[in-house]
Amino acid sequence: MTERLTVPLTMDLSWQYASGAAMERFCNGLQARRIEALRCGGCGRRYLPPRPMCGDCRLRLTQWVPVGDEGRLEAWTIVHLPILDGRTGETRPSPYGMGLIRLDGADTTLNHFLVESEPARLRIGLRVKAVWRKELLGAMDDILHFEVLP
Amino acid sequence: MRPVAIIGTGQTQHARCRDDLSQPELVREACLAALHDADVPPSDVDAVLISNMELFEGRAMPELWVGEAAFAARKPCMKVATGGTSGTSGCIAGFHQVASGLFDVVLVVGFEKHSEGHTQTGMALTDPFWDRAVASGALGNFALSVSQYMAERGVTEQHAAEVAVKARRNASNNPHAHLQMPDLTTDAVLSSRMLAHPLRLLDMCPQSDGACAIVIACETEARRRCARPAWVKAAVTRHDQPYLGDLGNRLAEMRTLREAARVAYEKAGIQQPLRDLDVAEIYEPVTYAELAWYEALGFCTDGDAGRLIEEGVTTMQGELPVNPSGGVLSTNPVGASGVIRVAEAALQIHGRGGERQVDGVRTALATGYGVYAWADAIILGEALQ
Amino acid sequence: MSAAQHKRPRIGVAGLGETGPVAADPRSIPEMVLHAVEAALDDAKLSFDAVDAVVTASVDLFDGLTASNVAVTEVVGAVMKPETRIAADGQCAFAHAACQIWAGAYKTVLVVAHGKPSMVPHQALTAWAMDPIHVQPLGVDFLVCAGLVAQALAGRDADAVSRWARTAAARRCAAMRRGVAGACTSDEVLASPAVATPLTEQMCAPLADAACAVVLRRLDEGDETDTRVLIQGVGHDLDVHSLGDRDLTSWNGLGRAYERACAQADVSTPSAFGVFEPACLYPHEEDLFTDAIGLDAAHLRESGNHNAALFSPEGGLFAGATPVAAGLSRVIASVRRLREDPQLERALAHGTWGPAGQGQAVSILEATT
Repeated sequence: MTERLTVPLTMDLSWQYASGAAMERFCNGLQARRIEALRCGGCGRRYLPPRPMCGDCRLRLTQWVPVGDEGRLEAWTIVHLPILDGRTGETRPSPYGMGLIRLDGADTTLNHFLVESEPARLRIGLRVKAVWRKELLGAMDDILHFEVLP
Repeated sequence: MRPVAIIGTGQTQHARCRDDLSQPELVREACLAALHDADVPPSDVDAVLISNMELFEGRAMPELWVGEAAFAARKPCMKVATGGTSGTSGCIAGFHQVASGLFDVVLVVGFEKHSEGHTQTGMALTDPFWDRAVASGALGNFALSVSQYMAERGVTEQHAAEVAVKARRNASNNPHAHLQMPDLTTDAVLSSRMLAHPLRLLDMCPQSDGACAIVIACETEARRRCARPAWVKAAVTRHDQPYLGDLGNRLAEMRTLREAARVAYEKAGIQQPLRDLDVAEIYEPVTYAELAWYEALGFCTDGDAGRLIEEGVTTMQGELPVNPSGGVLSTNPVGASGVIRVAEAALQIHGRGGERQVDGVRTALATGYGVYAWADAIILGEALQ
Repeated sequence: MSAAQHKRPRIGVAGLGETGPVAADPRSIPEMVLHAVEAALDDAKLSFDAVDAVVTASVDLFDGLTASNVAVTEVVGAVMKPETRIAADGQCAFAHAACQIWAGAYKTVLVVAHGKPSMVPHQALTAWAMDPIHVQPLGVDFLVCAGLVAQALAGRDADAVSRWARTAAARRCAAMRRGVAGACTSDEVLASPAVATPLTEQMCAPLADAACAVVLRRLDEGDETDTRVLIQGVGHDLDVHSLGDRDLTSWNGLGRAYERACAQADVSTPSAFGVFEPACLYPHEEDLFTDAIGLDAAHLRESGNHNAALFSPEGGLFAGATPVAAGLSRVIASVRRLREDPQLERALAHGTWGPAGQGQAVSILEATT
């Protein structure tokens, strides 16, 4: 049987993404360890990430509200597949925890790492708090992960 | 919408790696099969729609390269792409194009050749500011949603394992399916490798190379060419907000699918889904999703999905067989998976299901699922009224 | 293909909105799209609630985003509504939206297209649309293909290149008011650096960021509306991919797309049109365009005949060429022109995608009295 012929192609592309005004303010806030959401004037929903419009009400979002860096664990999992830490270029040790966290003051949840990776110690409803990196660049991974509060 | 019907379907042998074919050849295999099934020569195809998530293969505008293989050369041809719903979206687009009166016969083909790209990278290009650095892909996202769903509705890992067993055993009757496991047991599912708690390897859909095509015809042509057309009674689409965190308890709520189904049922005169539907091909990316979809589609009340699978209501012998084809859990070329749902629903009405044929199918449901919570609901019937 | 026997409902182009072409828009794609959508709804005097469905056009690789329409779902008002995403030129999205209305599926459809080539080198992306087995490994992209076509045309017409330089200069001049690139003389065009001979840099329509939106609405008896422009026909075509299988000196695909649209609109001659808005990236493509639809360039107003048809009156894509959105921008330009000039009855708007114009689409727009 002849070997299959393949044509290898390597893609090396970089895109420059504009943050948009709302995300820009949010990211600048992260550099000061400040988290803010946008509240819809129609339904009152407080959105993270901040974005131009409430999709349900079809209204532009303009009201900024403060959000804490602590919140409720709404969902969790332990992932066993390796993943690269985009900041350091190193592989995160697996298994690692991931959660959906509803920060105090927001109505949507955010997806982030959990420092806990033992299923028996995780459950929905736990209080968690952000652990920030020392060097803040104004990006979501300025938060290293969330730890479970005792 | 003016009457249109599916008069033929065709698909490839789906597999982990079809390195015996190029992407165009994969497309050609499905299109030839569909045209043969419909007894329609390529020259009678007025327009073609192609569904494909080309970023997974690292491509752009793939219809340029594969269009000729879909018999689209020198014809009207467009490409549709909406994540997992690409296939159902392509089919609905086909329905609209035929119903418009511009085209009498339209071919829709969905395909994906995961082995020829890097799907993980293709899926990783999410919002660069919000979650690209802090997410763990589709697997992690499903696992998160599953944890919420289980807490809310009380389904167990055992229930999920029963879904996995049903899917892979059904697939054994489907000559096209990628994963066929006729002897799979729930024990085997529950001891398979944990990927992201609580999702195990056998809870997950595979990545497959494959293509699937359907032939859609206007009323005149359908009646002329097909003894038993599968008429489109309803085709409803709903999209939702763009971030996982927007969607609450995603699987439990799934407002898009609930609403799409509600509207589709109303259009098609479905009052009690379990009774009024004869077969359902639903897009279940993970085992738990199938349980959530039972509730969202009104096969049972919220919280009762576990009972449904326990009692075998959705097995081949049950009141409403769900996924006789083996579903997405057995075969998943993303761009094709939605077309496969529609094709499998149609061929049940055509009576061409072979060993996976359900007796006496008059009304069939096909659904699509994509991105976080996009949904399509399509109802096909053996009669127009 | 047979034309339908049933009488298709009338579709009005009820609203237009666009950001206009800019070299590098500092805004995010959702912000750009929201600008265009709000403008279109405002123009149509409709709210988001009046929209039944949305058809969007975007390409994942161009936006660097998986399922790239996810970024615009909220700002196009598609949350809990049907959205279809066409990953080709915006003219296709426009044609598909018309099909949805003719099908009886929806009454009001919003069509949106966007492109932001300032994000990533566009030409490099186009290589990923070429046959990856036989062609892409040679470094062929859309620009290379354009060069091959231009060379084929120049080979049989000694005047072609200098004529193209004059056309490019004329288009740039016409585009000055809202264009992204400055004017230049035909000498300067010829003297500019070669990009893919015989094409020089200034012969290429400059890339630009833009978002466009159009509201289509079925016109029912008793509807109160001041919508003047209707869609009379749409046509699209996909030619074969391999350049070696095609006659590079003809846009046969455009001929087919044009015939399909004309059959719906009951148009039998190009003299039926008062304005042409082609989506040509290079002057040689204008030759291909006029040949394909049987348009004698001598009968255009720019040749001196004051009653003749307009051809890219605002410089066409030389005001700024936005991948994916270009065809929809031609629809907008056509409709604006028909609205503003009561003398004009009919416009032909064009879109193209792929190498050497492999994909072609046109729409015929008619002003009612």
